[in-house]
Amino acid sequence: MTEARRLSLILLVALAALVAVAVGPFLLDTYSVNVLTRSLLYAAVALTVDLLWGFLGILTFGQSVFFACGAYAAGLVFTHMDFSGSNALVALGLGVGGALLTAAIVGWLAFWHGASALYASVITLVLPIVATQLLYSGGTFTGSSSGLSGFTSFDLSVEAWFWLAGSFLVVVTTLAFVFVKSDAGRLLVAIRENEQRCKYLGLDTSRLKIVVYLVCAVVAALAGYLYAGYAMVVAPELASFVFGTELVIWTALGGRGTLLGPVFGALIVDYESAQLSGSYPFVWQLIIGVVFVLVIVAFPRGLLPVVFDIPRRLLGWLRPRAARAAVTLSTLDLAETQGVEPGNGPALAVSGVAKRFGSLTVLDAIDFEARAGELVSLVGPNGAGKTTLMRCIADGAERSAGAIVVNGYDIGRKPPEACVALGVGRKFQMANVFETLTVAECLQIARARHARPSLWRRARDLPLPKAAMHVIATTGLDRQLATPAHLLSHGMKQALELSMVLALEPRVLLLDEPTAGLTKTERMQIGSILIDLTRKQGLCVLLVEHDLDFVREISSRVIVLHQGRIVLDGSVEDVVASELVKQVYAGSGHAGIAHETASPDRGSAEAVSSAKREMPV
Amino acid sequence: MSTMLEAALNVRGLSSGYAGAVVVREVNLSIAPGEILAVLGKNGMGKSTLLKAVMGFLPKMSGSVSLGGSEVTRLSPHRVARLGVGYVAQEKALFQDMTVEENLRLAVRRPDFEAALAEVEASFPFLLQRLKQRAGTLSGGEQKMLLMARSLATGAKLLLVDEITEGLQPSVIDRLAGVIRSARERHGTTMLLVEQHLPFALAVADCWAVLDRGEVAETGMASEPDAGRRVLKHMSV
Repeated sequence: MTEARRLSLILLVALAALVAVAVGPFLLDTYSVNVLTRSLLYAAVALTVDLLWGFLGILTFGQSVFFACGAYAAGLVFTHMDFSGSNALVALGLGVGGALLTAAIVGWLAFWHGASALYASVITLVLPIVATQLLYSGGTFTGSSSGLSGFTSFDLSVEAWFWLAGSFLVVVTTLAFVFVKSDAGRLLVAIRENEQRCKYLGLDTSRLKIVVYLVCAVVAALAGYLYAGYAMVVAPELASFVFGTELVIWTALGGRGTLLGPVFGALIVDYESAQLSGSYPFVWQLIIGVVFVLVIVAFPRGLLPVVFDIPRRLLGWLRPRAARAAVTLSTLDLAETQGVEPGNGPALAVSGVAKRFGSLTVLDAIDFEARAGELVSLVGPNGAGKTTLMRCIADGAERSAGAIVVNGYDIGRKPPEACVALGVGRKFQMANVFETLTVAECLQIARARHARPSLWRRARDLPLPKAAMHVIATTGLDRQLATPAHLLSHGMKQALELSMVLALEPRVLLLDEPTAGLTKTERMQIGSILIDLTRKQGLCVLLVEHDLDFVREISSRVIVLHQGRIVLDGSVEDVVASELVKQVYAGSGHAGIAHETASPDRGSAEAVSSAKREMPV
Repeated sequence: MSTMLEAALNVRGLSSGYAGAVVVREVNLSIAPGEILAVLGKNGMGKSTLLKAVMGFLPKMSGSVSLGGSEVTRLSPHRVARLGVGYVAQEKALFQDMTVEENLRLAVRRPDFEAALAEVEASFPFLLQRLKQRAGTLSGGEQKMLLMARSLATGAKLLLVDEITEGLQPSVIDRLAGVIRSARERHGTTMLLVEQHLPFALAVADCWAVLDRGEVAETGMASEPDAGRRVLKHMSV
């Protein structure tokens, strides 16, 4: 399906929904139209809960507060200043502005660098409690527990309000749908999935989360504003934790992460509540509770996915087509590359760096410089501090003492995403990718820093730097572009992460055992790509590796770490010849293994040693 | 490969994989009690998938798995583990926020923890000095050593080990070879090692099998003179 066809299909569905909204009042009785108007507005708020929870992974109980913010802005202005056209605009401005301000403060508190998802949820839980208390203590100004009523509002018919609320919902849902299916929308999933990897791909995830949170607050405030205009009554319950939780329940019932599920969940539950709560005021809450528990147990993904699954299973409709890469890769022209310009002086200067955990010193007095075009291997026993040193170079907050200068810039206490901007690229020891995203999507996210993803379109073409393309072609990843990363073998994940880091076009490349899990042939091919990167493109590579043969073949220099200190810094020959290295690292050499296999006939020993020549040891 | 009736592990016609993708096809393998089998092969050929299917983490599309003659094909992973099978996974196998000791205590179900500590002393004694350290703060290689020590300390009768040498320094790999052999001598532990490290695998194992696109392509004894060459033939293409 082409991009234009995909978008026009969405538009067509949106138009059909608008037609349904238009004819609604002619088919329904006045009571239902009245109730549904409220439900339509609630559904728009549930949609924001789904964006935050289903896509970004932030369970929020506080969206009610932003709804109340819009509603109370209208209530307060129309009560205390009378209704007029200009006052209506003032109220709208106050509602949206208040929601933005609150969301900015809450977002900053909840999503600052290092805050956990649980912490964010607790903050959103506290928010409605504080807000209702403020409304209660507002005396005659806020109407305290009885709220505000009896103010004049827009003079619109019941049908007109229905149309207004319905169109609002359709527009917001369509925009949200287009957004989450776009390249930028996939970033939300990537952040939920693996925020750490996002940061190390140079994305300021805290800021992205706050921006999405602000937009969701504005949508909720607009819905609240419409609600007050039509209901002509506002009460503290609108801001309450109970309403905030109901929104979460509707989202879970409908199917989180589906957008349409929560919309229908809100519409159906709220509409039915109004219909049935009159006849069964107490039993109704019980029924809703039981249904909720049943759905969560039987269909953890919510109802919408089940509804779509039935025709799929029974009739073979809407069967997902065989996975096909929607994206084609191409090699980026050299002129288009956007890596950081190499600075003067060393690419990487580490001076006096130490890292302590309490009384335990992991790194001490680390001093070295590495120039552009150098491939420095870091070897040393397990636990010598190699990975810790990598971490200190890629995240300014990590080290306990010392300074690190990348491309002439001191990294100070900068977070990982700022270090990426200085030209640092880090590949983790354990393959660190986006497990539920496909190979192509992982690569797109890796390029997001350079090629700003579209808010509404999906790119069909993904230009990648030559080095990344090399790794992809060498390991055969290009044949698995549509495969979700969690189905890749361990070695393929390593290759994927390496290409993602190379897609960043780093100047200083930190590789923590990049070829673990790859075969000898693949290792050697990756090795030649690394040599090419350093010699021809002038990268500075710092490599942690246990395979001394591999180290010997590709390094221009070797640093040996032992118990947190540099014990040797020299040429490959120096290190290989060093008694110290033999003692602390290579141990008995590999004689132990060869010896144990040596069986009576000499052929066996030869077989193993020939295997040794071919295989990394 | 042994064809004994009471094989410690007997896999017959096993096919498994993920939704919509068969990764392991019609695999037949059997390991005699106390025998060590190395499963080799390139990346993505189904080695890890095979272990996950045997443990019961992945559905079996066809075939059967039995342990010492008792059928476990339909058992869930915790039941397979209770029958004395230890699984040393490739990643995320330690409780990162718990100490080394807590990691050991959780895995070791037998009453005398002292005996388990003695096993750790026999394998990687440095861990005894780190009992109070959080496992997540061990280095990558140290975590691998803890993982292996923990599995050996549980007294499992059958160990399924997924690429344990990855990220280990050469001298530790040497040591590991000795540790594994000695555990087998003393307790008769049966093992299935998935490996990329050919010299290590051939040094430790009694027999080997190469997986190619999910199927057993070739098998042999590790002591055969041309074993290395025959395995490499499948690895280098």
